[in-house]
Amino acid sequence: MSTRGNTPRYGFLIDASLCIDCRSCMVACSVENNVPMDVTRIWIKETGITGTFPNLKRFTAPYHCMHCIDPSCVSACTVGALTRSEEGIVKYDKDACIGCRYCMYACPFEVPNYEWNQRFPQVIKCDMCFARLGEGQQPACAATCPTGAIQFGKYEDMLAEAHRRINEHPDKYVPHVYGEQENGGTATLYISPVPFEELGFPDAGTTSPAFSNRLVTEGTPLVAGAMLVGLTGAYLTIKHQKEEAEKERAEQTTGEE
Amino acid sequence: MSGTLSRRSFLKLGAVSAGALVVGQFVPPAVAQAATNAGLLNTKGNGYIPSMCEMCVWRCGLIAKVRNGRVVKLDGNPDHPHSKGHLCVRGQSGLMNTYDPDRVLTPLIRVGKRGEGRFRKATWAEALDFTASKMLDIKAKYGPEAMIFSSTHNLSQVQFENLLYAFGSPNYGTQRSLCFNAMIVANLMTYGMEEPERIYDDQLKYIILTGRNLMEAISTSETSALSAAIARGVKVVYLDPRFTKTAAKASEWLPIKPGTDLAFHLALLNVIIGENLYNRSFVENYTVGFEALAKEVQPYTPEWAAPITEIPAETIRRIAHEFAAAAPHALAHNGWRTSNFVNSFQTQRAITILNALIGNWNVVLRASGGESSSALGKPPQPPYPRASAVRLDGVPSKFPVVPLKIGVFQELRDNILTGQPYQAHGWFIARQNPVMSLPDRTKTLEAFQKMDFIVTVDILLNDTAWFSDVVLPEASYLERYDPLNPVGDKVFLRQPVIDPQGDARSALWIYKQLGERLGLKDYFQYQDEEDYLRQQLAPLGISLQDVKAKGYAQLPEGKAAPEYSWNTPSGKIELQSSTLAKVGFPAVPTWIEPPEPPQGQFYLLTGKVAQSTQFGTQNNQLLHKYADEPRLWLNDKVAADRGIADGDWVEVASQVGKVHTRVRVTPGIRQDCVYLTPGYGHLSKGLTTAFGRGASSSVLHVTYADPVSGGQALTQTFVTVRKA
Amino acid sequence: MRSKLFNELRTLPKFIYVLAAIALFGLSVGAYRMYAGLGATTNLSKAFPWGIWISFDLSTVALAAGAFTLATLVYVFQFEDLHSAMRPTLLAGLLGEGSVLVILLFDLGRWDHFYNVFLRPNFSSALLIVSWCLAAYALILIYEVSPVLLEKSRWKWLLPAIKRFTVPIVIVGGTLSVMHQSSLGTLFVIMSPRLHPLWYSMLLPVFFLVSSLAAGISLVIAGATISYWLLGRSLKIKTIAKLGWFLPWILAFYLVLKFGELIIADETDLLFSSGMYSLLFWAEIVIGAVIPICLFAFKRVRNSRVASMLGALILIAGIILNRFDVTWFAIKPVAGQVYMPHWMEVAVMVGVAAGLVAVYSLVARYFPVYEETVTYQRPSPEKSLTAQPALPGKPAAEPGAVAGD
Repeated sequence: MSTRGNTPRYGFLIDASLCIDCRSCMVACSVENNVPMDVTRIWIKETGITGTFPNLKRFTAPYHCMHCIDPSCVSACTVGALTRSEEGIVKYDKDACIGCRYCMYACPFEVPNYEWNQRFPQVIKCDMCFARLGEGQQPACAATCPTGAIQFGKYEDMLAEAHRRINEHPDKYVPHVYGEQENGGTATLYISPVPFEELGFPDAGTTSPAFSNRLVTEGTPLVAGAMLVGLTGAYLTIKHQKEEAEKERAEQTTGEE
Repeated sequence: MSGTLSRRSFLKLGAVSAGALVVGQFVPPAVAQAATNAGLLNTKGNGYIPSMCEMCVWRCGLIAKVRNGRVVKLDGNPDHPHSKGHLCVRGQSGLMNTYDPDRVLTPLIRVGKRGEGRFRKATWAEALDFTASKMLDIKAKYGPEAMIFSSTHNLSQVQFENLLYAFGSPNYGTQRSLCFNAMIVANLMTYGMEEPERIYDDQLKYIILTGRNLMEAISTSETSALSAAIARGVKVVYLDPRFTKTAAKASEWLPIKPGTDLAFHLALLNVIIGENLYNRSFVENYTVGFEALAKEVQPYTPEWAAPITEIPAETIRRIAHEFAAAAPHALAHNGWRTSNFVNSFQTQRAITILNALIGNWNVVLRASGGESSSALGKPPQPPYPRASAVRLDGVPSKFPVVPLKIGVFQELRDNILTGQPYQAHGWFIARQNPVMSLPDRTKTLEAFQKMDFIVTVDILLNDTAWFSDVVLPEASYLERYDPLNPVGDKVFLRQPVIDPQGDARSALWIYKQLGERLGLKDYFQYQDEEDYLRQQLAPLGISLQDVKAKGYAQLPEGKAAPEYSWNTPSGKIELQSSTLAKVGFPAVPTWIEPPEPPQGQFYLLTGKVAQSTQFGTQNNQLLHKYADEPRLWLNDKVAADRGIADGDWVEVASQVGKVHTRVRVTPGIRQDCVYLTPGYGHLSKGLTTAFGRGASSSVLHVTYADPVSGGQALTQTFVTVRKA
Repeated sequence: MRSKLFNELRTLPKFIYVLAAIALFGLSVGAYRMYAGLGATTNLSKAFPWGIWISFDLSTVALAAGAFTLATLVYVFQFEDLHSAMRPTLLAGLLGEGSVLVILLFDLGRWDHFYNVFLRPNFSSALLIVSWCLAAYALILIYEVSPVLLEKSRWKWLLPAIKRFTVPIVIVGGTLSVMHQSSLGTLFVIMSPRLHPLWYSMLLPVFFLVSSLAAGISLVIAGATISYWLLGRSLKIKTIAKLGWFLPWILAFYLVLKFGELIIADETDLLFSSGMYSLLFWAEIVIGAVIPICLFAFKRVRNSRVASMLGALILIAGIILNRFDVTWFAIKPVAGQVYMPHWMEVAVMVGVAAGLVAVYSLVARYFPVYEETVTYQRPSPEKSLTAQPALPGKPAAEPGAVAGD
């Protein structure tokens, strides 16, 4: 069952102009998801203090899994421990995980964290608090954010709101919704008063590398088939040629007698 | 005591039994049974219980998720006006406050020297008997006034005060003079009320925020309202010598020279009055003393203020114009912790008057419901004995206009040392950390040594508990009932969501138990916490069961307060205060020049951090995980000149103490200021997460009290900074 | 019984004990890593989730490619004279893949879930393909090496049956190997943002495959000269020369692909402007391709044991550098963080490598690994061959003459 590619049901809209770097989201997430003390599923990206005194500026934004429409981590996970649900939530099955950490390299957003200090470590990644969704609650970060910097709801609504805010306040936001196209589109959307590189957001093209990855990995049976046929053919051909050459030599010697 | 705990293993704690401790005939309620009876928990001990946060004074309503008898998540209660469904970073970390491995869960009695931290466990009976006998001893030998009672205001304050008054001591220590005395007294003088309510509606256009770093000193609903206002386009002018997170959000940040907020606001008054930008009819109808005010502010022009504040005169004038143009939908925010300079009281007066001049009463400001519990019932009790002795904190003799319930805490501490007008001998401290909060920690510790007996009620072995003779473990806020808390048109309940761990008990229980042993049982006529609450609810005709289920009850529609009436001698807004005049203080806001640091020294700024509350939360492991390392902020140019790099160790010294700390080099602070992350430098080794981290600004703070409001002038401490 | 083993152990050369001690130490450190977790025993981090172990794995796999390359050349393309090198190369290949598996077991965070690789595969994952090919190919190598182990044992009756299926097994093995080598390159295809563009390409699988052919052949050549020195057993010079002949063509093809790809991707400006990365890239190309091409283009080099060996070792160094670049040096550092392996990571790696050499030596000592190679007199210090007692199995030979030539 491929859930890759279908429009997400839910989405986040994270507005960097509203984030005050209080870190309620970080504590709420850690508590809700029982995250060990030395790792986190959500963190704050920032521009640092820019400008010269007294014209200083600083912007921050909470950052977590983008819940891509075509997730690279899902494509890369050796044992399918990372999966994308029907609603578009990228989930992690700790009982399947072998700890190869390929997902950490594959993710273009540098999202997955790892429990390096545990004997039986897990990958640490936002899962949209899907258990809370089941109880009719919002994800812990969105529910608690005092300024509403993290909004959560239907994906279409979040996307529409992102564009509405940009259109209604063009002086306040850069005209780009981060996540609309990035990596082929994600359920976590961002708008920001400054260019996203200044916040430290990675430049993640508009197509998912999962796509090119699949091109190569799913071409494997073809390659294998071709190899088998080719090598067998080569063997038989060469063997035949050698036998022919032997026969000729034998005939020649007998012919010479 | 364990070190940093993995999140998973802390949920395995709490194997400490929560057995019912029978002391006398008083058995604490079995929470799980009660909550189940109320329909809040199912039979497995799972469910959601509404209660109230106590990580700061905003006291947001929360909903606790309980699983198998343990609280696993806290969420904001959408029905509480202070949270509206959100909890700030400290609120979310409240679990770790309750499950802190350093919790004191049995009464402790000191065995070593005071300050060694050597205690032995005791039963409640022994600890309470011992405490009562020592207190009665002091009362008999030196009079009840020799016993000081101090507590930082909290929901059980009414019963704390009950103990204090019943005992007969006049010496009530609160932390308020370290915080908002200037603001409260100014409001009292101007409006006759402690703090008007601020209205953030869609019409609000302009805010002048003096200090009040709302984006870090988070009061959930107000922070949220300010953020929404900024998002909507409200202009926010923010005065602060430091580039805080509020400065980053403000429309205009003015890095004002410390101590000169007064000049700024006097100049605003000057422009608004001088250019006739004030609301004439409002001033005529509802205020007194305009002429005196106008005369006073005449010389305080923007040109006068500019070199003092280091803000250009055109800027000051422009802001005055913008503010007046936005009237009445403009707010001059008083701020909250206004304990900065001796002249802070005058600044507060100027700000209240600024609001009055543009007539924003009932538009942006209005009379608050306050925390009056007048609609609620209470247990019967005899009248209090008259406390005949004078107070040690100079109220009202030295501080005639400071309310008795607020006091001047640093003066109290100083007079323990002077022994004037009499020597105090005992100190009962509940939910307060004066060792860390009072300025000049060395002096506070000296004062402690002068005590014959110190007893502390706390949930952790906080620094004050560390230096005490008896520690009585209070149940944390998730484990106890407290008296009902009226907020707006509702009254909210704090109820236990889990059984108290170990032998911890609620303050209601502790005060009653102690009171009975002090011979004051008539003042504590309630059986247990639930009985107390039922007595509170009796006039409302609501059952406790109903309140427990929702977490609150609706208050009956009270008589609407008259809209344009103020509890001042004149009944109007007093631009010129007759009360102040009567006791010989300036009746209108006046300029008082603040001191400046000598060449090469710095103003020592303090402030707020979102991930901590004063001095009580640094041990919380969740907050510790996500808070920045405590550092001294130093301007980058100054650092470069002195060859100090980010992360270097420096020695910071004032005239009363010195500390060592690491530096954060930043452009976000004035060159004449340094800022030390508040709340760290704990002395108690019983705080295993907090101990050894950061440095204490209280070691450096010099004690100054503003003669009018008694407010401590925390920013008047000047320091040297030297590479260590 | 026990004394017989004890006596046997006493006859072992000292270096085996040294290697065994190093291996034991490394494995103990590895056991500690499993106890204490990766955080305490490695310098892996979010910025560098893969470290020197993965670099080691990729390098070892590239070198072990000699096994399939040789097997394919001998059995499919029927170059009979290469047959004599089969056994040592297959054994080296098997032990190489074995050590890769051991290191992987230490590297996996949840090694206790390793069976999930087989029970719940994700066929989109390049790492899954790597794992399955590795496992399958290891089985094939066991099959191919089994004659060596069984020949002198009581199970030798199995040999005819085993040998009957050699060709099909080799064909399957070759297929698996091609996929195995190339899928290691595919691993990095999904990492487009993390790998420096001078290395990143969708052709990475092809690059890895082609370079592995060169690495494998080089290992055979180098191994032949080393065994000549240590054991007096080797391949004929003609055979070595023939192997060496392939190398320039393979490497030239590699260079065409590599530079062609850079030109098409319009990344040639990075060749000199990328600072340290440019340096690494050119080092890789020069050491791993240019110098070997220049060397092996000359008949004199190809026909000299020493020169061939040197050329082969230089090529191997270049390919190891390439694998280290792709897995470590050319990974974009996150927030300026760098990775240096923890001493425990190095200890485990060195221990496993030592174990590999020790096991190889022991197998070579007790099993007919070098039986089919040519026996030579060991060269004396004066480089003139004098009559010396022959090694077991073959009669002594005249200087220069080679038995079985």
